[in-house]
Amino acid sequence: MISFDTFLAVASGGLVLGALYALMAAGLAAVWTTLGIFNFAHGAFIALGAYIGWQLADAGGAGLGLTAGVVVATVALFGFGILFHLVLVRPFERRADIVTVSVITTLAGTAIIESAINLIWGPRSKQLARLGTGEIDLGLIRIPMGDLVLVAVVAATLAGLGWFLGRTRTGRAMRAVSQNREAAELMGIDVPRLYALAFGLSAAMAGLAGIFVGGLRFMTPTMGADPLMKALIVVILGGIARFTSPIYAALLVGLVESFSNYFVGLYWTPAVLFAIMIAVLYVKPSGLFGHHQRTL
Amino acid sequence: MRYDPPFHKSSGFVPALVVLAMLLVLPLMIEASYLRHLMILAFVFGIVAASWDLSLGYGGLFNFAHVALFAVGIYTYAILTKTFGLNPWIAVLIAGPVTMALAALVALPVLRLDGIYVILVTIAFSQLVYQVIISQSSVTGGTSGIVTLPPLAIGDYKLTSDGRIGYYYVALGLTVAACAFLHGVIRSRLGRAIMALRDAKYAAIARGVPEGRTRVLTLAASGLFTGLAGGFYASYVRVASPDIFGLGSLTLVLSILLVGGIGTIWGPVCAAFAIILLSEAMADLGPWRDILTALLIIAVMVLYPGGLWGVVQEAREAFATARAGIRAGWRRRQGRPAREALMGATEAMLPTRHGHVAVSDTGGAGPAILCIHGNSACKEAFARQFAAFRGSHRLIAFDLPGHGVSGNADPETAYNVPAYADVAEDVLAALGVDRPVILGWSLGGYVGLELTSRAPARFAGLCITGTSPLNIVPEDFARGYDASSHLVLAGKQYFTAAEERAYAGSATVPLSKDSAFLHANINRTDGRTRYYMITKLGVVDWPRQMRMIREGALPLAILNGADDPFLDHGYIAGLDYGRIWSGAPHDIPGGKHAPFFNAPEAFNRHFSAFMDWANRPASITGTG
Repeated sequence: MISFDTFLAVASGGLVLGALYALMAAGLAAVWTTLGIFNFAHGAFIALGAYIGWQLADAGGAGLGLTAGVVVATVALFGFGILFHLVLVRPFERRADIVTVSVITTLAGTAIIESAINLIWGPRSKQLARLGTGEIDLGLIRIPMGDLVLVAVVAATLAGLGWFLGRTRTGRAMRAVSQNREAAELMGIDVPRLYALAFGLSAAMAGLAGIFVGGLRFMTPTMGADPLMKALIVVILGGIARFTSPIYAALLVGLVESFSNYFVGLYWTPAVLFAIMIAVLYVKPSGLFGHHQRTL
Repeated sequence: MRYDPPFHKSSGFVPALVVLAMLLVLPLMIEASYLRHLMILAFVFGIVAASWDLSLGYGGLFNFAHVALFAVGIYTYAILTKTFGLNPWIAVLIAGPVTMALAALVALPVLRLDGIYVILVTIAFSQLVYQVIISQSSVTGGTSGIVTLPPLAIGDYKLTSDGRIGYYYVALGLTVAACAFLHGVIRSRLGRAIMALRDAKYAAIARGVPEGRTRVLTLAASGLFTGLAGGFYASYVRVASPDIFGLGSLTLVLSILLVGGIGTIWGPVCAAFAIILLSEAMADLGPWRDILTALLIIAVMVLYPGGLWGVVQEAREAFATARAGIRAGWRRRQGRPAREALMGATEAMLPTRHGHVAVSDTGGAGPAILCIHGNSACKEAFARQFAAFRGSHRLIAFDLPGHGVSGNADPETAYNVPAYADVAEDVLAALGVDRPVILGWSLGGYVGLELTSRAPARFAGLCITGTSPLNIVPEDFARGYDASSHLVLAGKQYFTAAEERAYAGSATVPLSKDSAFLHANINRTDGRTRYYMITKLGVVDWPRQMRMIREGALPLAILNGADDPFLDHGYIAGLDYGRIWSGAPHDIPGGKHAPFFNAPEAFNRHFSAFMDWANRPASITGTG
């Protein structure tokens, strides 16, 4: 069996992973629910955010410190997301086969972003410093400061997103669009602008996630592929009934992954996750926390 | 309704043979083994993309585990030859069924899913396969894969010798087999079920198409040649590497499919050459190659949404339209005296809302008859009515836009029943005709119904022949007509020579000296008129026509050939008529789809009686 200390360590590791997945999945779900398309470039956004953060923060770049990196990466990715939507998604919005076309255009966008990163920063892997150093003693368990900051920042971001979607006029408009585009349009909501905004917000969250991922693993131009797959599992598992659905699922996936790593082993963990996901889909296609409806 | 001629009778047969012959002699002319290498890769990825087209294009199932199926074929070959020491040829052959079985397995989790969920689940499935492969490194070599696989050989002759010529021909043979297989599947009952589920899922299920079983079979069929191609590819590159699961190969195959055009089979096979060659031409550009390839894909998506196959189709349509237009112009100038002699009427071009149309008008002061011809025919079809009624009536006939010697017109606006009725209105207005009797044949019958139902009081009567009045389209279309392959030809854009003869023969009469001019009209008809007319049946106000018939707002006659090959006489007899000549639809013995042409005496006698009856006051003509 497992000792209590180990259990706590594994669980806290799972929570940190879960928080990171929640940030990625919420961004992915923001586009999916509003536009009804799957953005394959979300992983490339994560990589781009990490590299922009590195450029600002690292001594090899501008050396302005990590906070500047976070701010600039998030803002830059927000703008980049809007641009990406304008160039690669917006022209095809009216087509009947938008779902397939957006798959190919976002895949093409991924190839462009990854190659551009390769051209600008080179193929050699880099690493970012973590937000927060040292460890903190919580009595039962000592956890790295970086993990605590990660969880806190993600919690604050998601809370901010929840406030935006629930309390502000624009956020409510976005939920309205995701529930019924035509009706929302008839109420005078500027749908194209909201689509752009959804893409921007999604990319900004990906950029922020990129900074965290860059602190945990080595950075390469294709570093986004793995997080993209995890976010995918999370979104499918949780469903997209509410914007909180992927967040619960993210925590679940983080914990399952952490415990599975401990009990089943590193190699089999992804297979376990995928098997769980396929099983869930088979029983409840709309996800664990969902109904068959797209909403934020 | 079923019309699908076997491939050797379709218009694609000769081009396919020419391309095949060129591919057969190509390696004899090109010694460069590198170019042959690229061709082999193009064959392999063409097969993979075309197989994917079966599930994605024809089935509308976004199976993004397709590249993983290809990888399964590769690994099957690798494991069978390396671990079990099996003969490479047998290993390739086994890779097909193994992949097919796995493809059927992919179908299970997506049986109940639709749209984007299918994409996500199949991506997840492909990742699961990937994870299993890299976690079982004792069998699969893990992340480093399996290397130095045995190549294919016949006896001691290695297929790689003589500049890979052996591999080239095996790849070509595999491609031909894959195309034949996919074409056969699409033409089969299964293929029709696949497309029916894509186009009208619930209608198909209601008609007894089993959705789950069809999905399993679709994916299994798309897996067979994908697996064979995978096994062959592994024997060729002699490596099985998990890199194949990356976004790179997905992008490559998907771009071949989309650039070629989905739902075409041939498009991806052709596009594979373009993309592989282009990709190799940019091999020295490093990361720029991926950027340029991605930009190219986006450009094709924006400029040619139908892919390269769409471009080929556009070119074909432009050529066919121009040829039909030139024929019309030529005949308009050359054949006029002959046409005027045949009709005993002068011919003139009149402007209408949908372009200039050719009008034959006998003139004179008698009551007017406006004749409207049918699909792919011309105004001269009514020559025998012109001859019979010239003394007593003023006869007018015109060529519909895109038919006869009228000009071609805008297909979107002009090639549909309401637009043809507009043209008829304009012709009548230009000639100053008051209260004519309308004689409409087949498609012209619908034009007549549309025209008169707009303002019944402005017409003296309507006689339709070879036309089933419809209320609900397309349901009544299936009831009013006997489903035959020739009926399906009515909506087919391009005719082969055999189809021209078949259609003209059943729509009018078999080719003879008398009917030669009607047959000659088929190759002048703008093929788009057939396609757009059928696809725009929905824009017609059918209930208004049926209401007019039921309420008897206008004297009506239905004179059909008793031997009409298209009509369902029982359906027509069972309709509710308010004011119809002789109390019921009348069948002319020996008459076919054009009874006024092949049984003119009987037809003219009845038509004349109808016009006399129609001229009486409504209190007498009413049958109710």
